[in-house]
Formats: sequence, C-alpha cells, structure tokens
Amino acid sequence: MASATGGPISPEGPAPAAGRPADSRRASIPSRHDLLERALALREGSIIVVTLLVAIYFSVNTSSFLTSSNFKTLLPYFAPFAIMGAGVVFVMILGEIDLSIGATYLFAPFLFSKLATAGIPLVVSVIIALMACTLVGLVNGFFVAIVGISSFVATLGMLFGLEGLTLIITHGEPVATPGAEVTTTTHNVVHVVNGVHIVLRETELHISTFAKVFGAGTYSELIWALAIVIVLQLLLTFTRWGLYTVAVGSNKLGAAEAGVWVRLVMIRNFMLCATTAGLVGILEAVRATSVQPDPGGANEILFEAIAAAVIGGTVMTGGSGTVVGALIGALFLGILHDGLVLQGVNADYQLFYLGLAIILAMTVNVYVQRARRGTHSG
Amino acid sequence: MADPTVPPETIVGPTSAPDDVLRVEHIAKRFGPVTALRDVNVHLRKGEVLGLLGDNGAGKSTLIKIICGFQKQDSGEMFLHGRPYAPKSVDDARSQGIDTVYQDLALIDELSVYHNLALRREKVHRPIPFLANGQMKQDARAALDEIGINIPRIDVAVARLSGGQRQAIAVARTVNSKADILLLDEPLAAMGAKEGSMILDLVARLKQEGRVSIIMILHNYVHVLEACDRVSMIQDGVIALDKPTAETSVEELTEIVVNEYRRARLAAHEGQAPAA
Repeated sequence: MASATGGPISPEGPAPAAGRPADSRRASIPSRHDLLERALALREGSIIVVTLLVAIYFSVNTSSFLTSSNFKTLLPYFAPFAIMGAGVVFVMILGEIDLSIGATYLFAPFLFSKLATAGIPLVVSVIIALMACTLVGLVNGFFVAIVGISSFVATLGMLFGLEGLTLIITHGEPVATPGAEVTTTTHNVVHVVNGVHIVLRETELHISTFAKVFGAGTYSELIWALAIVIVLQLLLTFTRWGLYTVAVGSNKLGAAEAGVWVRLVMIRNFMLCATTAGLVGILEAVRATSVQPDPGGANEILFEAIAAAVIGGTVMTGGSGTVVGALIGALFLGILHDGLVLQGVNADYQLFYLGLAIILAMTVNVYVQRARRGTHSG
Repeated sequence: MADPTVPPETIVGPTSAPDDVLRVEHIAKRFGPVTALRDVNVHLRKGEVLGLLGDNGAGKSTLIKIICGFQKQDSGEMFLHGRPYAPKSVDDARSQGIDTVYQDLALIDELSVYHNLALRREKVHRPIPFLANGQMKQDARAALDEIGINIPRIDVAVARLSGGQRQAIAVARTVNSKADILLLDEPLAAMGAKEGSMILDLVARLKQEGRVSIIMILHNYVHVLEACDRVSMIQDGVIALDKPTAETSVEELTEIVVNEYRRARLAAHEGQAPAA
C-alpha cells in the first residue's frame, strides 16, 4: 500500500489490548475466575456445563456410571453422532440442512458389502463406498447451490431416493458385514491341578485387524470421532475453507460480492457431510457385524446427529457453529441414554424421559448462556 | 405532446480521453421486464474521481456491479487501459486492478474485523495453509490507521460495530487492495458527518497521490462537487449528462433532477408509465 500524504494516524496506546476495563482491573492476578470466564465465553461453554451437571447427576444416583466398563458402553451411544454431527455442522453453518445423512449412513455399508463380496479388497471397498457417499453430497450440493432447490427439499428427496435404492439393492434383506466376521478357534489348553494334567477345550474369538480399525475395536469409533472432530474443527477455525463457510452462512450475497465462490463452498460442505455419514454407516455395520436395511432406524440417526450439532451450539439459521460443540452435544445425548438405562428406567419409559431430559437440560442451557452473556455485557 | 418547459432527453455518446484507464461503451442490462441500463457510455481518466449520479433505481449500482465483474452486461463493451475488458468474476476483475465498496458493504457479520478486511486476500502459513491471523491483524491495524478511523478492537465480530464503523471497514478493505481503479457505491451512506468527512479526506488524499482512479456514487451534491473531478448522470438507463464539476453547480444538477420529476409526472398524467 502506498503511503498516504496525510500519514497514518497512530492508535492511542496499545489499542487491541485496551478492550475490557474488567481485564485491566485484575490483570495482575490471572486468577482461576478468569479461566472459568474464558471457558464460559466459548460458544460450547454452556453445553459443557450442562453435560457436566448431567454426568454428576448420574454418578451420584447410580453406582455404575463412573466405571470404565460403563464408559465402553457409552461409546457407541455418542461416537457415531459426534462424527455425523461434525459433518452436518459444516452444512448447518451455511444455513442449510442435510436430511439425507441418515440415508447415506444406511446406504454406505450395503454398497461396501456389495463391493467386498464381489471380490474387491476390504479397504478399497470402503474407499469406493465413501467416494460414492461423497458423490451423494455432490448431488445434494448441485441441486441446492446450482439449481437452487431449498436444501430441506433437495435432501429430503435424496433421503427417500437413497433409502429406496438401499431397499432395492438389498431386497430388504439384512447383510453380514464383510470383514467383520467373528471367527472362533478352539484349542486344547493343559491345566495342572494338584499335579494332575487336565486338558480343557477353550474357544477364542478373533476379529480381523480391518474390523478392529473400522469400528469393531473397543475404542475404534472413539478414536475416529476424536480424530475427525479435531481435524474438522481445525478446518473450520483455521483455514480458508472454514472462513468461507462462515462467510457464506452469515451473508451469502456479501460473500459473493467479496469474491467468495459461494457455490463451491456450499457443494464441498455437502460432500464433506455426506462422507462423514457414510463413514459412520460403515463403522457401525462393522461393529454390529451385520446391518439391517431399516430406513426408520436410519432416520432416527439423522435426527440425533442434527440434534447433537444444535445442542452443541450450531445455529439452525446459519452463520455460526462449532465441531467440538457437536461432540459435546453427542456426549450429552449419549450420557442421557446411558444414564437412564443405568437408573433402571423401564424400557417403555425411556424415550419419554429422554424427551423430558433434553428439554429440561436445554432450558438450563439457555439460562447458562444468558448468565454468561451477562458477565460480558456488564 | 411535448411540454416546452421540459428540455428533451439527452444522450451522451461514447466519449474518451487519451489517458482513459476505463471505457464503458453501449452497455445495456435487463432484469426480466425491467431495463436497468439502455445504452450507457462512461469513461474514466487516470487519477480522476468520477461522480456517478442518478435517481434511485436509475441503474448506478447495476453499472458498478457490471464493471466489477459481479454481473454481466447483456450487450456493450468495456475497455481497460485500452484493451477489451470482460471480467469473468469479482476475483478476475480484482486481479485486473478493479476493486469495489458495495452499497450493502459485503461485510460478514459473524467474522472479525480483520477477517473481513482480509476476505479473499487471506494470508496463510506454509506448508500447511492455516490462516496467518497474527499477520492479518497487523495488516488490518495498519489499513485502518491509514484511513484514520479508530476501531478500538479488530478481533470482534463486525456485527458489533456501528454503521459508520462498518462502512469504514468496507472502504478500508478496498482502498487497501492493490487496485488502481476503485468503485465506491455510496461510501458515505451510513456515516455521520465526522466519519463521512474522513472518507472524503481519504478520497482527496488518494486523488492527490494520483495512483488510483475512482468512480463514486454519491447522493449529496455538495459532496459531489467537493470530491469529484467530473460527474456522469444516469437517467432512464442512459447517461444524460457528463461534465467536469468545475462547469456545473448544485443548482444545475438539482435542475436536471427536477426536470426528470416533471417529465415523469407529465408522463403519468398522460396515462402512461415513464419510458423504461
């Protein structure tokens, strides 16, 4: 930039730091209070508080909540939704919605098993199936960003179409997931009891390395979830991809005027979202060793993933949201599911209590948010 | 039936000067049944500040959006430094040295001041292309200081700023670009007198430097006469007046507009809508 004849006007003092008087007042002691305030200032702050409260409630009221075995039980309740939530956050920040993620979740494992049973290596089958999911996202993005159909309608069409396609290719029959077979070997083990040799036959369960990596290992889904959440949060916060996503979601026309390729930004986020849904579908199919072509179950998954995103602070009208929030939102839902089971709630009552608990917790969330804004405006 | 007190419509044809940086010839643009621009001819000389005037809906913003690559004309040609100029996109126009402050400012409410200033010109680290936020903050601070507008914090979302501050950021973003042709669509619209005069001072400063040429849409004729070298007025989709500001006055400009109202009223009385 050429220097102006008028000369730059220097800012009065160190301007960026001279923000809140409250800061300078206790600048000398970086107290714990400061840390707490900073944590609350995060967009996910209030839901973290609420999730902690729920966790504390269940730890106090049940003896088995705070155990490592329960943690393992909890994982499948939240890791899949954390991954799908992370993907759908990218679409929701745009102010759009992807209703087809449940269908994609359902479709991916069947395509995978078709490919794998046709003799294509397992990992290659996974990759091709995921690419097909990416293509589903591309089609969604095309109809939303180029043709101009509202995302609600376009992805609803994709939901029905893809679930129908899944029923067609499976003839409505469940499929055993290739590579997830649990094999057993029996061998004779010699025990020595009181000097007497006793031979006992013991069976051992084996799952393949492929299965361990893609969902069947105890922590497999957790590791996938953490890795994906970290990568996508970095993508959202620290790259142009994320910056343009927020820009398009906040002001589509303005972003276009500033030169952002709005359509590209929209399409690639739909692609990302569909890919995460497909991955979760495959992980869950491998974990369960077989998969049912059940559209109803898939649609429930859809709502939980979107709920995880919204509970985690992603705004349905677009412009803001966080991936980590979706993880916390999924954790919140998982803890509720799991905690209600541990409390011995009658199965018939579970959904009812879950519904009540979501509304109650979100009410608390709103008040925590207000309190936190209060500390800032004051 | 012509009213003798109403002067006939005039159309300024293509004109040019030897030191033109931009020429716009016979540009027409329709939006469905609405003709925004019929036959517009504008030229911009090097270092010049051209005031673009016209009634609301006359097509000023449309012309700006065509020049900056946001929209395509239906017909007509443009020439940049004498060579044919047909921008494919806003990015393309910007890479050829044309940058714009839009009427709606094109600011992203949810993004911070410095991200808005850097939008589409982000600095990133290598080899992993993470945003170089520290660098962008420094650049933003320098750009705002140069304009002389005090924005206390540049890491807050622009949604939290006043109308004038937002406008200043939009102007700073454009002035800070490498562009040598600036298009300013109502840069003073949301500003108080103090901020507005800062922007006018900035324009005067840029004019003095002589590096950039500016097309500016303004509504206040006093500002026009103060800031611009020349005025072009759009009426009914054509340029109806093209004069150096030294040869015109607030009275003359007002008179033209009054006549336009007279013609429109007359046409309405005759039971037909005014042409286009």
